[in-house]
Amino acid sequence: MKTLIVIPAFNEAENLRVLLPKLKEVVSFDVVVVNDLSQDETAEVVKSQGIKCLSLPIQLGAWGATQTGIRYAMKHHYDHVITMDADGQHLPEEVHALMDAYQQTPSDVVIGTFPARLSRLKKLAWAFFKFLTLIKIEDLTSGFRLYNRKAIEVLSQRQASLLDYQDVGVLLMLLKSGLTIVEVPVKMLNRNDGKSRVFSSWFVVLKYMLQTTTLCIANIGAKQAK
Amino acid sequence: MTNITILIIGAVLSISILYLVRKGKMHGPYATWWFLVAACAMILSIFPQIIDWAAAKVGITYPPTLLLVLAVSMILVRMLTMDLALTQKERKIRRLTQKLAMMEEVMDQENTDQDQ
Repeated sequence: MKTLIVIPAFNEAENLRVLLPKLKEVVSFDVVVVNDLSQDETAEVVKSQGIKCLSLPIQLGAWGATQTGIRYAMKHHYDHVITMDADGQHLPEEVHALMDAYQQTPSDVVIGTFPARLSRLKKLAWAFFKFLTLIKIEDLTSGFRLYNRKAIEVLSQRQASLLDYQDVGVLLMLLKSGLTIVEVPVKMLNRNDGKSRVFSSWFVVLKYMLQTTTLCIANIGAKQAK
Repeated sequence: MTNITILIIGAVLSISILYLVRKGKMHGPYATWWFLVAACAMILSIFPQIIDWAAAKVGITYPPTLLLVLAVSMILVRMLTMDLALTQKERKIRRLTQKLAMMEEVMDQENTDQDQ
């Protein structure tokens, strides 16, 4: 059983300098960092730790970078992919919690959630999307996930390359393909730099809400189960 | 009668857009735009008074003129943003092609180094 940890990173040199040594200490899985056209020394920091770094020549955003890692796993015959954020909010120790949950419950995707981190505004947005899509998942955007081989195959497809965010679109795609998703509570830190990529400015939020709403409405009735 | 025609056009447009998004054939931002266009068409066909009211507000005596002017200017805006997006794509493709050529050269070098 081969497992790959995929870390999408955009200007995360400082955070990766702390995260990668800890990660190497705690888990023995292969790690690959996908560098999404960073302007800082992200690639150098990753390489100096002896970890593989895929540098994208064009900026693809968080999901595009993550999918690059997933396709890499597909190509190199990995059985599981664990995705985590580079900013340090996902703790290396909790990788085992995802693995344990996967082994204990028969499911294709395990999402590590930390409900306490959600702000009131986010909760409102999620409630709206959950109402539209009937997805029964607490934390739609958590990037701390484990995908098994079946999920890797689904997410490597061409259609998945057009998604912009790794939340509702990705979850709908997994559910439509008949895969099962479970959630497991994990500990998370607050963001080291205090910034969220999605909820950074009102214009971005509005764009995100409109696009995701269109996606949700387009997928009404696609798959209702959890 | 015109109202019903426009309502049907709007409805068909929005259903086609949703179908395309569902099948993964249209990218999010474009879908959102077309979806809004369809929604506007439907709203205006149900409440055509909106146009009369807006025309009176801006001092246009023949309300359909306002509708046509707005429609044409929206098409112009859309064409402009389309060309902007196309330019961006063209640059990306060129940079990508150049990068690929450079990478291939590096790989060839490595292969010949190994052979020696």
